[in-house]
Amino acid sequence: MSLEALPHQYPFRFADRTVERTGPGAGRVRAVVSAGGRGVSGGILSGALVGELMAQAALLVAGADPEPGKSGFLAGFSDLSLERPPLPGDVLTIDVAVAGRMGPAVKFDASVRDAGGARVASGSVTVRRGESAPEGRV
Amino acid sequence: MNARDDLKQRVKSLIVRQLKLEIDPATIRDEAPLFGDASDGLGLDSIDALELVLGMEKEFGIKVQDEEVGVKAFASVDALCDFIRQKAA
Repeated sequence: MSLEALPHQYPFRFADRTVERTGPGAGRVRAVVSAGGRGVSGGILSGALVGELMAQAALLVAGADPEPGKSGFLAGFSDLSLERPPLPGDVLTIDVAVAGRMGPAVKFDASVRDAGGARVASGSVTVRRGESAPEGRV
Repeated sequence: MNARDDLKQRVKSLIVRQLKLEIDPATIRDEAPLFGDASDGLGLDSIDALELVLGMEKEFGIKVQDEEVGVKAFASVDALCDFIRQKAA
């Protein structure tokens, strides 16, 4: 799925840089944390929003799987662990890989690192793929 | 306890552990449907099915190839045990 096809709009779009495939069912997304408007005070991304970032990255990677044009939604988080909250100006790399799938549900393992390669967060997100592409943006 | 009962107990424990259910595994009836209406069984959903697939792989080293296979295998604890025994044979 291209970045333009992601249904989320700013300020709720967190995955906003290049998407590349790194292997079967795996991909890498980049995000830049901007100041103000996205998270808690000062633009810091809270743990829940880091989870949303992982989910958007997973959706971008899932969208690149064979079934283009299908939307999806975040169905669950598990084992979410935050080393530190991402700060404004942080350039984050989110690596996602398929952990398993059953029918429309796909579970991804995700890890978030900063520009220096230090771990920021990790966890799993479950994305449920929709039946058809959305007609309008969310 | 014989091998069949031991397998049932392992499967029930897996279901509770993997899905983080707050119930005693022993209360899960062998023949009760795992999915669908909660009044008759556990009322699990498709996301739970995915978690069980991952749990099966980890606990028994068994892969569930696709949804069609999964629907039959996860019909009940009895069905799941039959599936595991088939795969192990």
